[in-house]
Amino acid sequence: MNRSGSYATFFVGDFFFGIPIAIGVEVTKGQEVTPVPLGPKEVAGFFNLRGQIVTAINMRVRLGLPTVDHGSDALSIFFQDQDHLFALLVDRVGDFTEVTENTFEETPSNLDPNARELIVGVHKLADKLLLVLDTHKIVSGIDLVQS
Amino acid sequence: MEETILEVAAQDLEQEILEVVKEASIDAAVNEAESSKELAAPVKVSVELLDKLMNLVSEMVLARNRLLSFARTSGDLAFNNTVRRIDTVTLELQERMMKTRMQPISQVWSKFPRLVRDIAQDCGKKVELVQIGAETELDRTLLEGIRDPLVHIIRNSVDHGIEQPADRLAKGKPELGTVKLRAFHENGMVVIEIADDGAGINIPLVRQKAIQLGLVTAERASKLTERELIDFIYLPGFSTKAEVTSLSGRGVGMDVVRTNIQEIGGTVDIATSAQGTRLRLSIPLTLAIMPAVFVRSKQQSYAIPQVNVIEMLRYEPREGVPGVENFYGVPVFRLRDKLIPLVFLNYELKVDDVRPPTDEPLNIVIVQAAGIRFGLVVDEVLYMQEVVVKSVGPLLKGTPVYSGSTILGNGRVALIFDINAIAVRSGIIAKLADNQFEQDISAVLGANSESQQMLMFDLLGLERMVIPLETVDRLEMIAASRIDRRGNEAVVLYGNKIMRLISLAHYVEGATQKSLYGDETVPVIVHYHHDQPVGFIVKKVHNIVNVPTQVVMVSPPQRGIMGSVIVNDTVMSILNVQEVLNMSGLGPQHDAGISGAEFVDSDVITMDREDK
Repeated sequence: MNRSGSYATFFVGDFFFGIPIAIGVEVTKGQEVTPVPLGPKEVAGFFNLRGQIVTAINMRVRLGLPTVDHGSDALSIFFQDQDHLFALLVDRVGDFTEVTENTFEETPSNLDPNARELIVGVHKLADKLLLVLDTHKIVSGIDLVQS
Repeated sequence: MEETILEVAAQDLEQEILEVVKEASIDAAVNEAESSKELAAPVKVSVELLDKLMNLVSEMVLARNRLLSFARTSGDLAFNNTVRRIDTVTLELQERMMKTRMQPISQVWSKFPRLVRDIAQDCGKKVELVQIGAETELDRTLLEGIRDPLVHIIRNSVDHGIEQPADRLAKGKPELGTVKLRAFHENGMVVIEIADDGAGINIPLVRQKAIQLGLVTAERASKLTERELIDFIYLPGFSTKAEVTSLSGRGVGMDVVRTNIQEIGGTVDIATSAQGTRLRLSIPLTLAIMPAVFVRSKQQSYAIPQVNVIEMLRYEPREGVPGVENFYGVPVFRLRDKLIPLVFLNYELKVDDVRPPTDEPLNIVIVQAAGIRFGLVVDEVLYMQEVVVKSVGPLLKGTPVYSGSTILGNGRVALIFDINAIAVRSGIIAKLADNQFEQDISAVLGANSESQQMLMFDLLGLERMVIPLETVDRLEMIAASRIDRRGNEAVVLYGNKIMRLISLAHYVEGATQKSLYGDETVPVIVHYHHDQPVGFIVKKVHNIVNVPTQVVMVSPPQRGIMGSVIVNDTVMSILNVQEVLNMSGLGPQHDAGISGAEFVDSDVITMDREDK
């Protein structure tokens, strides 16, 4: 994954994340999500983006944070992984941020273990740390069989 | 003098016009020749592109639906005409798009002659393969799904079915055995028949083997019908062959065949005798679109594939009638004196922690899956609709309860149930198997219970409607040119009376309306209402069918439809004659025509000739 370039940023709890916009990012608001009873707990449900079925992943659940009800104001960040569209439900969307290789650093070892497995590294921005997410790991790390 | 000049000028003009027309027609001919040349060279298009186009078309259909609802409330004629144009174009676009997915079945069959020859040679038999209907078209994703099952069935036919040449001659059969492949369309399904003229399935041997494997007690086996015994061959590990050959006999096969066919929404049926065995695979035309029944659980609607649905009913507890009972831990319910196990959907999906109290009314969808019939208790039965099936993506691989998803008219996503998985998950199959649950399935269909005669007919876009025969006086074919108008009504002279004509498609939800043209004749079902003939215009009239009387639909919100019944494994909708009469202003309390004012817009037939 490229360490420099443009990132779409968003907030989940106290975390400030970024995913490379090269993966194909789009942000929408107010999607009506169809829940999936018996499905993995991280899967908030499905919605329709121009005729395609999108799997919505609740980032709070994925990170092991307490859930909050965003209601119809839920914000989703889209990306594609292996021919399927996914959306991350997040708390707040930040700006598009341009970063260079210089600010990149490997994952600090004292980071919350739930978040650490999902990120490839951090960018030290002037005011805060930007955690670079590995979108594939967000999807592939979900336990498919619900106990 | 002046006149002649004018005349000459007029002649010149005429000549000019003629020439222009001639040129234009030559141009057109050239264009036509060019375009047919283009057609001759096929273009390669990637499957992904086709899928994307298909997605866009489905999306356009949804947008069209929303547009249509605007048009209904708008009084703007020009706008409404434009919307109607978009409507027809979208419909045609969708149909053409579906066609691009279809491929002839010969694609799969082409390798079979060689397969048959090879197997026949290996076992020293003489076998001929006959193919009929190889041009029958099927969705390309389904073609892949039927390849392996067909190979297996053909192997079985040649290896097990057809006898050795000497045996055949001894039985008076021709030395050359025949395996006949036949494909055709029937009731919106593709039927593939594989028939051989071999020895047939050895039923006594199947019985003996079933006892040997401990599947059934000897006493019980003797009571089983031939059909029930044939069901054993679908079990994994079941084979009547004493020896395993390189081709077959290992007992893995028919279970895989059935599973594969069921996965693509099809069914397998076997008929056998000493003259041969015939397997019949019924497969939906396409996986992309299928009819489904929508049900509600809490706030969500879910789709149940219609192939699984047998009937829908509402159960209301009454004094002195046993309601939901308990059979070794399985809730059961009596339907026409037969026991039907129940599965509570909300409880199964864990959206409810407890089963609802049994003294409340229940909405039950009777479904068939995994070899048993059971009742799925839902909060409400909503409607039937054709749905475009889409994948649920990789994250639901561990949740087999859903087989797919679809996008509803309002843009929301609804999940489609896999009824087999629900049956397995609920555990009723295991519990029932332990306790020799006897459920006379043939009687559930109500074939010999009280039934009523109904006439089956089609409307455009809505097939298999039925109307009670006692409400039908006779059937007529009426030319559209004979139809006159009286105010907002379409009428026709019928004997010495004036018959009001009602286009049923107008009043029945789900049917498509079509304009009539002068040279067309339309089938009309004549019904007498207060001694006055009323003609229902339909698309096609079929035959008379016997329909169980006791079937009630739970909450039929579909306009013009009283409910649904199942006859010979197909769902039929019963026309609500009274409702249609009411809607067309012929209600019991009114004199004909009085309430017509409400229906000014709903004139019966649009004789709109521009709308071609």
